[in-house]
Amino acid sequence: MKLALPLASGLALVMTAGLAAAQVPAGYPADYAQTIEAAKKEGKVVVYGTTDAAAANFLVKDFEALYGLKVEYNDLNSTELYNRFIAEAAAGQGTADVTWSSAQDLQIKLANDGYAAAYKTPEAAAIPSWANYKDTAYGVTYEPVAIVYNKRLVPEGDVPKTHADLLKLLQTKTDAYKGKVTAYDPERSGVGYLFFTQDDLAFKQAWDLFKAMGKAEMKLYTSAGAMIERVTSGEHTIGYGVFGSYALSRSKKDANIGIVLPKDYTLIASRVAFLSNKAKNPNAGKLFLDYMLSKRGQTIIANQAELYSLRDDVQGEATVAKVKEQVGDAIRPIKIDADLSANLDTIKRLKFIKQWQAAMKGN
Amino acid sequence: MLRFATFRFAVLAIMASAVIAPIGLIIYQSFLDGPFFTPNVKWTLEAYQFVIEDDEFWDALRTSIIVAGGMTAIAVPLGVILAFLLARTDVPGKWILEPLVLVPIFMSAVVLAFGYVVALGPVGIFSTFVKGMIGTVPWSIYSVTAITIIAGLTHVPHVYLYTSAALQNLGADLEEAARTTGASPLRVAVTVSLPMVTPAVLYAAVLIFFLGFELFGLPLVLGDPKGVLVLATYLYKLTNKLGVPSYQLMAVVVVAIILIAIPLVYLQRLLLSQSNKYVSVRGKAAKRAPLRLGALRWPAFGLIILWFVVTVGIPVFGILLRSFVTTWGEGVRLSEVLTLSHYRDLVDYPNAMHAIVNTILIGVIGGGLAVACYTAVSLAMHRWRSGWTRLADYLVMIPRAMPGLVAGLAMLWLFLFLPPLQPLRATLFSVWLAYTIVWLAYGTRLVAGTMLQIGPELEEAGRSVGATAGRVARDVTVPLARSGMIAAWVLIFLIFAREYSTGIYLLGPGTEVIGSLMVSLWGTGAIDLVSALAVINIVIISVGLGLALRLGVRLHG
Repeated sequence: MKLALPLASGLALVMTAGLAAAQVPAGYPADYAQTIEAAKKEGKVVVYGTTDAAAANFLVKDFEALYGLKVEYNDLNSTELYNRFIAEAAAGQGTADVTWSSAQDLQIKLANDGYAAAYKTPEAAAIPSWANYKDTAYGVTYEPVAIVYNKRLVPEGDVPKTHADLLKLLQTKTDAYKGKVTAYDPERSGVGYLFFTQDDLAFKQAWDLFKAMGKAEMKLYTSAGAMIERVTSGEHTIGYGVFGSYALSRSKKDANIGIVLPKDYTLIASRVAFLSNKAKNPNAGKLFLDYMLSKRGQTIIANQAELYSLRDDVQGEATVAKVKEQVGDAIRPIKIDADLSANLDTIKRLKFIKQWQAAMKGN
Repeated sequence: MLRFATFRFAVLAIMASAVIAPIGLIIYQSFLDGPFFTPNVKWTLEAYQFVIEDDEFWDALRTSIIVAGGMTAIAVPLGVILAFLLARTDVPGKWILEPLVLVPIFMSAVVLAFGYVVALGPVGIFSTFVKGMIGTVPWSIYSVTAITIIAGLTHVPHVYLYTSAALQNLGADLEEAARTTGASPLRVAVTVSLPMVTPAVLYAAVLIFFLGFELFGLPLVLGDPKGVLVLATYLYKLTNKLGVPSYQLMAVVVVAIILIAIPLVYLQRLLLSQSNKYVSVRGKAAKRAPLRLGALRWPAFGLIILWFVVTVGIPVFGILLRSFVTTWGEGVRLSEVLTLSHYRDLVDYPNAMHAIVNTILIGVIGGGLAVACYTAVSLAMHRWRSGWTRLADYLVMIPRAMPGLVAGLAMLWLFLFLPPLQPLRATLFSVWLAYTIVWLAYGTRLVAGTMLQIGPELEEAGRSVGATAGRVARDVTVPLARSGMIAAWVLIFLIFAREYSTGIYLLGPGTEVIGSLMVSLWGTGAIDLVSALAVINIVIISVGLGLALRLGVRLHG
């Protein structure tokens, strides 16, 4: 069948003569060969992503080897990505074919605002339903939101295994942990806001916890770098709400970093990707999106990029199975749905922040 | 005459449009209720209302004024002393001190601040040492005071460069005359040299004060743990506070900074209204001999070294150490965690080598081209008594009112929505243009300050033998201002090599620079790579600077 298609069209035969790798992945519809053909004519795919270039490079290299297409990967933070993408789309000057961002709520907003092209990936059956937004935006990773701690300085008995443990620790040893706990700042970081509002939904005593954090004079930062670095140095000793992926890769280099996935519930964050409806290389974009979700791409996500694969059929270190091994069924994926963009409602947001500010003062 | 007038108007017109386009866009944006490029956008004053009613804005403004004032008070006197010692006296070890003094300029403020955290933070290397001896750490680097002091110390090189460029052009005959009448070196410095370089010092002081409002990296890192906000970090906070970036709110903050800039320029013009008071390059050359400090030689040397150790030595030591260890802090024995792996990892990092090359290209070639532009603007405004130059004085200063975050966005918008610029967007030219516009105030002041010191009689001499105004500019003014221009090139090179935020939206695959790599690595927690990259950055530029000096580029007489 794979040979029959090019034979069917003389033109296609000429086009594919030199390109041996133009194979339709197993289980994909037969007409996918046309998508591959069209993508090859486009020649490249432009990706804007928040994943740093080193981690993304494993995917980029493998994708390029698979299809012989060039990937232009732009590594931007989530605010930059949003700003650049909407301005470029409005100017009609060409923008990303695929955007892939850890700011789940902004991605859903973009999809709702009509910047995304609906596309049902052939991988849809293997993707959990919470990670599929209207066959348009897809979660690509499965990143547990972890607590990190300093193994040198936090005694074994103090290490919190659940959110309730942390609450108790901060209430009973407030002075010992004064200024020693750190987290993303929900006022300055979109990720921080997302995580804390999810805690509010998942944990009955969330506001007690936030108040205890306030009483313990928790320090707030805007980047994982600042948080993890200060936990390893001992300036702070417990980092709350850190992407498990960053913690995992850091703990491999630095034996002082301990990681806890809370056993009462562990939030699962996912980097959301969609195809731009202003794409100049729409077919190459489809190939890249499908590739990221495919078993091959996800195996790289699990074992090399260390971003955690969200497919059940992928083996390796950073996988669903490994997360479940630690926390059982207490996983709580942040659903990629319309509620996320409601997160961005200004009035709701300012209200939450006001309450948060009061909690940080301990009341 | 007519042709030179045409040149003047052409240069100023180009400069004005390059400045007004991004600023106009930002001001326009501040009056809208959404991004200017979205359909159905409406005029409103809501953004102003939001910011004015926000307590945090006023807190941030107050802190910014304190920091800007404090850092000017620290940087200006120190910078002038350093410039005088190195340019005018026989202080020992000049060959090594001259390049060292410039080091803080090309260190990214974020990295520098992080170096202080590793060295002097609550569990820093020196802090734990002191704590071991006296039981407590007697300082905190997270306070407004600490931010002000560090900002002041790290801005010393800016004042130093402006002042030493001016001193270089100062006829030594005046100082010699004072010395022969028995004045001490200190007296010569205070009563002769200092007054002569007043224009350069004033320019520098106003600029440093103004830069204080734009300060971002230092307060971002050092202000984080205690929630200290300055205007630029407030602006950053506004970006996320409402979930979706609100350009109109950011624009309002920029308008506020512009409103601060305008009286500053007015003040500067007032101070310089009799600029011929400062003319010091006269039509008579004299061989220059350094002033002898005598017994003060080594104390002077000690003073410079002390400043250097505090400003550069401590944070660089922090970063250097961080780049060779896997972990640090309380309870860590450094001898057990030493490693070279961060540097090895860097070799494998995609585009790291590319970024290093791009950084050098933008700095060296881009910096040179930018100085050519700044020289053209300075020449156009040079000794031209006209309302246009007054206007130009204001225009030059205003782009710096945009913090890097906003400037980058405004430049992206221009390259997207102005048809003639569209084809240039994905090239290094766009990055260069953005840098050149944002640093216009800086570079132009540097070149213009030097030109002001050239005695008008030298130029008039040229005119009296029949040269056209253009010829005088080419054969008299520019050659006499040469050393100032070269110093400007070095400064701009260093700044461009460090800059990234202005170009962040214009950079793409193949045009990465070291700064943008560091920021994305910082976000994911790979601080070991950031520190290794920072060390390499410091080494490369130090070597480049050393080579330039070796090859005969003279920063000072």
